[in-house]
Amino acid sequence: MRISYNWLKDYCKHDLSVEALAEKLTNAGLVVDTINPVDDDFCLEVEVTTNRPDCQGFIGIAREVATIVRSKLVIPGVDYETTTEKVNDLTGVTIEDNELCPRYTARIIKDVKIAPSPEWLQKRINSIGLRPVNNIVDITNYVLMESGQPLHAFDFDKLSGKKIIVRRAKKGETMEAIDGSKCMLTDEMLVIADAQRPVAIAGIMGGRDTEVSDTTKNILLESAFFDPRNVRRTSRKLSLISDSSYRFERRVDPECVDWASRRAAKMILDIAGGQVVEGVIDQNYLEGKKVSVTLRMSRLNSLLGLNIDKDTAKGILERLQFTIKPEGETEDNLTVEVPSFRGDVYREVDLIEEVARIHGYDKIPAESNIRVKLTQDNIFDKVTEKTKSVISGLGFDEVITDSIVGELQEKHGNIWSDDSSIKIMNPIRQDENLLRKALVHNLLRVKKHNQNYGVEKTNIYELSKIYLPRGDGEMPEEKECLSILGEEGFLSLKGVIETILSQLNIVQKLETRRCDFGLFNPEKSAELKLGGKLLGYIGELSREVINDYDFRSKPCVAELDFDILIENTNLESSYHKIPSFPIVTRDLAVVSDETVTWAEIKGCIESLNIVYVDGIEFFDVYRGKQIEKGKKSIAFRLIFRADDRTLKSEEVDKLQEEILENLSNAFGIKLRA
Amino acid sequence: MQERLSEIQNQAKEDLAKAESLEEVEKIKTRYLGRKAGVINEIIKSIPGLPPEQRSSTGKSANILKKEIGKWIEERKSEFNTSSEASLTLPSLDLSLPGEHKPYGHKHPITQTIDEIKGIFRKLGFDIEYGPEVEHEYYNFDALNIPADHPSREDFDTFYLGNKRLLRSQTSTVQIRVMEKKQPPIRMIAPGKVFRPDTVDARHASMFHQIEGLMVDEGVSFSDLKYVLTLFAQSYFGQDIKMRFRPSFFPFTEPSAEIDISCSICKGTGCSVCSHSGWVEVLGAGMVDPNVFETVGYDAEKYTGFAFGLGVERLTMLKYGIDNIRLFFENDLRFLSQF
Ligand SMILES: [Zn+2]
Repeated sequence: MRISYNWLKDYCKHDLSVEALAEKLTNAGLVVDTINPVDDDFCLEVEVTTNRPDCQGFIGIAREVATIVRSKLVIPGVDYETTTEKVNDLTGVTIEDNELCPRYTARIIKDVKIAPSPEWLQKRINSIGLRPVNNIVDITNYVLMESGQPLHAFDFDKLSGKKIIVRRAKKGETMEAIDGSKCMLTDEMLVIADAQRPVAIAGIMGGRDTEVSDTTKNILLESAFFDPRNVRRTSRKLSLISDSSYRFERRVDPECVDWASRRAAKMILDIAGGQVVEGVIDQNYLEGKKVSVTLRMSRLNSLLGLNIDKDTAKGILERLQFTIKPEGETEDNLTVEVPSFRGDVYREVDLIEEVARIHGYDKIPAESNIRVKLTQDNIFDKVTEKTKSVISGLGFDEVITDSIVGELQEKHGNIWSDDSSIKIMNPIRQDENLLRKALVHNLLRVKKHNQNYGVEKTNIYELSKIYLPRGDGEMPEEKECLSILGEEGFLSLKGVIETILSQLNIVQKLETRRCDFGLFNPEKSAELKLGGKLLGYIGELSREVINDYDFRSKPCVAELDFDILIENTNLESSYHKIPSFPIVTRDLAVVSDETVTWAEIKGCIESLNIVYVDGIEFFDVYRGKQIEKGKKSIAFRLIFRADDRTLKSEEVDKLQEEILENLSNAFGIKLRA
Repeated sequence: MQERLSEIQNQAKEDLAKAESLEEVEKIKTRYLGRKAGVINEIIKSIPGLPPEQRSSTGKSANILKKEIGKWIEERKSEFNTSSEASLTLPSLDLSLPGEHKPYGHKHPITQTIDEIKGIFRKLGFDIEYGPEVEHEYYNFDALNIPADHPSREDFDTFYLGNKRLLRSQTSTVQIRVMEKKQPPIRMIAPGKVFRPDTVDARHASMFHQIEGLMVDEGVSFSDLKYVLTLFAQSYFGQDIKMRFRPSFFPFTEPSAEIDISCSICKGTGCSVCSHSGWVEVLGAGMVDPNVFETVGYDAEKYTGFAFGLGVERLTMLKYGIDNIRLFFENDLRFLSQF
């Protein structure tokens, strides 16, 4: 809320400069965001947390200042003369819903003279950024700002039936508010009505028909307590926010309702003349139960890490207008009665906070006896960090994309689940209202974005969650996935995955099988398995996808189930003795049918279980002039080694012959001429 | 024609003797023996135009000369090869040429910030915990002492998925999940994504990252909170920063605090980053509310603890002076490659 530096001094004497005042308030939990000079005054913007509705008025903030600087809080007087006429003879109040309106008071002031406010009042209204209207409206605003209790003045003569009914609106009822907005009311909204129609939306805004105007003579002054939830809901529904609704939403002080009404009546008498009709109509359904709380000094000091004495705590609580109950005081204990404006305090720990914030958080030492302890290993973290380091090291940039996506993700086929995605009921944009079921589509969007800015090569990856539906209303399966987009072709991307596997010391073999997704080029895509379990998919994007995104390159993408990687990871590297004898290598080029795969050739050689074969390394595949149609030439290297000696050339020749013979028998493979 | 050949022989000998580098020898080789325009080849090509009696002898002589020059060139080359590596007087490489670059990938700046913060808290004995992003209302609100009518439960502050499911709006949910499973002592942080239907602008995104922290044991006090968070802030922002702990309000802590550090941009004199206050807010914290302990079945008389939370994007933006949160999720490589 906005407060004026000069005005605040009415309620609390202090010598603080405006900067010092702002600092004190901030350190007590009332953050001063800005200080703006206004004429010979300053306007301070104070951030009031939702638990402190008592600070929604000058008096509440003055109470804090008085507590901090140990000065006296000055509350203005509210005594005035009244007529002999009785308010009950002139009007009546009926509350039909006392849950939404547990207290309503009405006073009547007759024969007022509507005029502009005196200069001092206009200046104060201006000092907090409001505009003066007329004396009556300015006074109700002034008292609202002073006490935090909203008031409303009706033109009494315009109230049909001269009475007030507090009721829920009827379906289809409408009302034009003072600010000109036309409100369509529902039966969930509370209104103030006269005999015929709504004349105010309870706690939010009065109606235009009954507002105070230049010709107004008699006033009905409303001061009430409305249910915070209902005011908030109605205010949101109507998109109508006022200084009044702001305060009712946060809960006003039930005991201040009548005080504020008297304060305004007195000011009206003083400024606008007229007479206050004797008495008040006060329909009060609130329980005025007092809350008492006991504070143990030992608990306070151990929770805060302080060592303050009881008198210090007592002084702070007394200045904050808590009542100390002598009968509840022992050496360690203080028992206090909580004032009505502090609904947020009802437990010992709430009192501890009061003492702590006024005593000052800065006085609490930053010390600790925390014992030394080892952090527990977290496998997920370790594998994640390692994986990201490996991929980044291979030249890929990590991206983080939104979990909330649009329909597009399903357009080119699903990777992990065909069930329909989980829908967000209140999305920001209606076309982005689904929880993603795969990461890869987001990578395509990132590539597109970068391509638009002239970046042609986008080697990227993301390691994040996807959300797989598990049945209506059920919590989804949150699957951690690793998705990679590479620009160097299928085998290069497969190499990236193989590097990750080897760096994670995964010994299980990576198996590939052709797969068929709309997302992929059917010639260059595969399902990947690890240890018999589905690891994920890899493939070059299909023509359709490339066209849809208007890509100028042919990216390959892969998406892996990260949990499968974690399961198979071995974080401990193992050491093998470095061989003492050199290797012998043989580079071979063989010709085979197109149908024979490298995995088959390699598997065939491995199945011979020749102890001296230390490695089989693929070089390349060649098709062309010298090779018969339907055949291909495969070049690879055989590595031979023995543990106890250097192998002789003749021995290796024999082994090579054995291998070639087996390949020939199995697949009709011949050494290339 | 024989004279022409001996002329070439002498000239080649002379040229080779004068050559000062391997490159020059290569040039001489091309000049004399080049297949297209080499001097010797020119002569061989011209043989068919010679008188018949000269043709055979010229051919022979030319071939002999060709071999001879070839031999000289190889000899000269081997001389250079043995001396060139040591010889700095004969530079053949422009050392100012740029080196060849392998592509270098970067971890996302948000990952880097999270990793750094995890590293700091690991040193302080905090375990790293994770929780689901799709949550039950109970973990996001009820168990955190957030009343049924609290504004943060409304549609414009939380994404709802139906059947009491939601996208968590804070990582505080992990506190509850951990305390449900374990007994004190607890020392943990929980990094992760959170979601809020905020209007997207330079400071707000509908998805961002938070790190939640929790320490519970017998005798944990506000003093411990200040100690741990001071160590953290000094480690992350630098030893010379100033800190301010001021009272605030969160439903799941009491007393609550917000923690400001002196603005690193203006050094406390006031600038637009700190709204001219000299301070920037970096952490929310407080002593765990007894209601939260009651919910998870801890004895609130026996155990006390503190919790804290921070916004990862916010800290990253402060550290690098980034003025738009959207940059983190656009994933423009020109942005990502700067970290
Ligand atoms: Zn600054």
